Amino acid sequence: MSDTADTPVLRTRGLRKQYGKGEVLVRAVAGVDLDVASGETVAVMGPSGCGKSTLLHVLGGLDRPSEGEVWLDGRRIDRLGEKALARMRREAVGFVFQGFHLMDELTAVENVELSALLAGNSPRAARRRATELLERVGLADRAGFLPAALSGGQRQRVAIARALCNEPRVVLADEPTGNLDSAATLDVLRLFESLHEAGHTLVIVTHDDRIAATADRLISMRDGAFVDETRLAGGTSGKLGALAGLEG
Amino acid sequence: MGRVLLVGRLAARSVRRRAVESALLLLAIMAATTTLTLGLALHGVTDSPYQRTKEATAGPDVVASAGPDFVPTSDGTVVDDEGFRQPAEAAVVPADIAALEELAEESGVIAHSGPYPAIVADLEVDAVTTEVWAQGHDPDGAAVDRPELTAGRWLEAGGVVVEAAFADVLDVGVGDRLALNGDRFEVVGVAVTAAALPYTDVCFGWVCTIFTAEEVINPSSPPVPSTARRVDFESFPIPPDDAGLVWLTEEDLRGLASEQDLLSYVVNLELAEPAAAPAFVSGHAASGITTEPVLLSWQDLRDAYRELVEVRGEVLVTFSWLLAVLGLASVAVLVGGRLADQTRRVGLLKAVGGTPRLVAVVLLAEYVVLALVAAVGGLAVGWLTARLFTDPGAGLLGSAGAPSLTLATAGVVTAVALGVAMVASLVPALRAASTSTVEALADKARPPRRTPWLIALAARLPAPLLLGLRTAARRPRRMVLSTLSIVVTVSGIVTLLAARNEIAREWEGPSQLDPDAAQVDRLLLVIAVMLIALAALNAVFVTWTTALDARHSTALARALGATPRAVSTALSAAQVLPALAGAVLAIPGGLALWSALSDEAANPPLWQLLAVPPATVLVVAVLTLIPARLGGRRPTAEILQAELAR
Amino acid sequence: MQQEVVLAMLAKEPAYGYALRARLSAALGPLGDAMNAGQIYVTLTRLEKAGLVASEEATSTEGPARKVYGLTSAGQERVGAWLAEVSWPRPDLAEFHLKLVAAAAAGLADPLAIVDQQRRELLRRLRDAQRAAMAEPDRSDAALLLEGIVLRLQADLRWLEACERNWTERRGNL
Repeated sequence: MSDTADTPVLRTRGLRKQYGKGEVLVRAVAGVDLDVASGETVAVMGPSGCGKSTLLHVLGGLDRPSEGEVWLDGRRIDRLGEKALARMRREAVGFVFQGFHLMDELTAVENVELSALLAGNSPRAARRRATELLERVGLADRAGFLPAALSGGQRQRVAIARALCNEPRVVLADEPTGNLDSAATLDVLRLFESLHEAGHTLVIVTHDDRIAATADRLISMRDGAFVDETRLAGGTSGKLGALAGLEG
Repeated sequence: MGRVLLVGRLAARSVRRRAVESALLLLAIMAATTTLTLGLALHGVTDSPYQRTKEATAGPDVVASAGPDFVPTSDGTVVDDEGFRQPAEAAVVPADIAALEELAEESGVIAHSGPYPAIVADLEVDAVTTEVWAQGHDPDGAAVDRPELTAGRWLEAGGVVVEAAFADVLDVGVGDRLALNGDRFEVVGVAVTAAALPYTDVCFGWVCTIFTAEEVINPSSPPVPSTARRVDFESFPIPPDDAGLVWLTEEDLRGLASEQDLLSYVVNLELAEPAAAPAFVSGHAASGITTEPVLLSWQDLRDAYRELVEVRGEVLVTFSWLLAVLGLASVAVLVGGRLADQTRRVGLLKAVGGTPRLVAVVLLAEYVVLALVAAVGGLAVGWLTARLFTDPGAGLLGSAGAPSLTLATAGVVTAVALGVAMVASLVPALRAASTSTVEALADKARPPRRTPWLIALAARLPAPLLLGLRTAARRPRRMVLSTLSIVVTVSGIVTLLAARNEIAREWEGPSQLDPDAAQVDRLLLVIAVMLIALAALNAVFVTWTTALDARHSTALARALGATPRAVSTALSAAQVLPALAGAVLAIPGGLALWSALSDEAANPPLWQLLAVPPATVLVVAVLTLIPARLGGRRPTAEILQAELAR
Repeated sequence: MQQEVVLAMLAKEPAYGYALRARLSAALGPLGDAMNAGQIYVTLTRLEKAGLVASEEATSTEGPARKVYGLTSAGQERVGAWLAEVSWPRPDLAEFHLKLVAAAAAGLADPLAIVDQQRRELLRRLRDAQRAAMAEPDRSDAALLLEGIVLRLQADLRWLEACERNWTERRGNL
């Protein structure tokens, strides 16, 4: 346990989450074992309703599992109280949502600094950090804009900046490109790529193949369980021309 | 016809779909209409009970009474116990019975009873000692003034009948025992009469002139007959300030007097022309000689009862306006939230060809219906509760249920209810009706407002206050309405504190024996309860609305790591902060209102005023606790997911 | 390399062989890297033989003499006809589909395993195409081409999803 490199950032064992009872029992997550290593990008794919969002919520402590264990950074979190969970989310987890979930009345920079303020940083430190992050996501010139004045892709980049604000151990993204057009998706993909290169740990649930294709590891989920796992790294270089109709 | 049906159906659906809100809306308007009804109904309320009592008791058209006086007989003075210089000696001049008897013989008088003797006696019952006017009466029933029993039986030797209002205050009933000037009697009955001024103003003899004379008559002493008894001036019995009335047999009454020349006498007259009673009275204007008869017409007596209740009516009308403003504030919050929610319906209606007018009518219909129901409810409740306040006019028969519900009252109340609903809903309804169909169909949620300085200020505060201030700042209109609601409520309460303080000062004596003080006290309590209840309802509802409205941002804050407690505290703080502002503003507001209502600038004690803001904050914090707690604990993941499904 | 593409590249003005290659590279971006340099010269020689392209030696003050290629009038006509032509590559879906049917019918392999395998391959390709796309500056010609590849791969992946659903149900019904 002393060697943090060997400790997965996220680990689950026998994870189950169900809603309802009897006839209407829904097994959203039905026995999931998952290890996410530090610096890894993992994509979880599956049709809607396969339980992938629920899995993400449980991983990030937004929801509690019905059964099984969740470990974050070597610490078991499935039995933490609401207060400790909140603290954990604040310090160790960054969320990115499909619907961006920005506060409409706050400017880009105010949205980003919100999590820093909630974590008890001074207004000045929070603002400095937020400005820095906006620069990193390429929105330094949009800091004073309200979400309504930003494009979808820009909003999602603000949300990603917010997720990074407290230097989380893991970023959890739920369909981050679900509401974006092709060009904006590419922006977000680039950003995730740069996060990956910077050594962030990412778990993305999605049914967008494009974002899934950026992952190191791709997990297919069906009916609450993992059914397939693929390492994508080490691709098919040299064949691109053929894909475009250029004969070898 | 089809259109009316459509409008009706849509309004009914909307009411049913949001039943809780509709109920709150109804309550808010009803609180205002009830108080208004009460205020208006108490106006002139005693006229008919007095009439009824007069008929039922063969009440007199004119009551004439005369009492004895002490006339100083030497220039020598002595200094009494309290340091006043008093005549050394006086002669007792008895009441002018002859003059009373002559009155009964006058033309126009068709019947009379009396003269009956009366005297001020010390009354002891349980632990209470007070003074009372005791009047002798006919055990077999008189031609004029036959007090109507509300309990027990009429006079018999050794028995006493207590006037109803007085019995109510003393809390005595048939079978109780009491002592008059040390002699023991049993209460055999409780009765009402139309032949005396209302309780606390009961009087016989010269003292009564202060209730009837337009200017103070300078009393002059009667001639002293040679047979007059010489006494110590100090033994002159001073009529009490607040006296009730009891009846005894004439013989028992005479037994109460140490000397027969100390008795007052009362004659009840029935006139051929009751309407001419005031003329009869002024035809016998008091000469100013203290032992001669003083006359009261039945109109004088009726007005005295009316005045008693009218004061309450005025207080109520004033407070009903406060409640109306409060109602307006809550209705505006409710309507604002509802109409925002109906944007999509508006779009649909327009898309299928509804004109802006039809849309406005559909939106307003709902509130018109609710306002009408509230008006009817308010009229009913107000009319039923009015008897609570006319009751000790318990001195009158049939005062229960007596408040009259005139067409004018109903009209005013309905108009106020409709007005409140209209003022609150007209602007949003017209705005909704004139929005573009496409925009309405897209149903953009009402975007929150941005108040930059508040947001910047909030960044410097700890997390709960940060979230709370920002939550409040998202909906400035609601914040203003919350503040307004608190201003109105707390102003009302400050006014009530001032009023109570003044009552306490005015009725310094044994106020537990004063029905007026007790009455007004009860009235103020009821108003305070209504004010607070309505404001509490408002606070709870606004918090709940805020929790719903802010569910997305609170869920988000929790996803970002705010604890449930921080979020609950924030939702509470969003109410508490405007409440604090409101309470502080309300203190000068309430004092100003009171000085407008009353001539006396009797401010409540400083500690009470200082206690108002913290008390308000505490109450609002407690009230908002539960909705805020519920709002803070909603499952985060579900809300964040649900937002996508929209 | 399609002959018409080379012809069309010359339509604007005659060019040296290496300039032609540079034009193609710019349009293809990373895809052009795989292109064999000799291929263009082979194609040009064929076109010249067919009378669609004419070449002349350009005199140069320095270095070796080079050929400048230009369109003949027949070449011009051919380019016009090509631009007006409606052609679109036909994806060969039937083969994969029949592979699944055959595998299932003969019990040789699990169709779902084949689908999964195919998907993995497509995702790898997607990853590569996407990486290439991300490396391109915005609005470059090559970025547009790469987006086309990405979108086609996504379409194929979606079809695989449909295959998967379909075969899962069939298996469930057995």
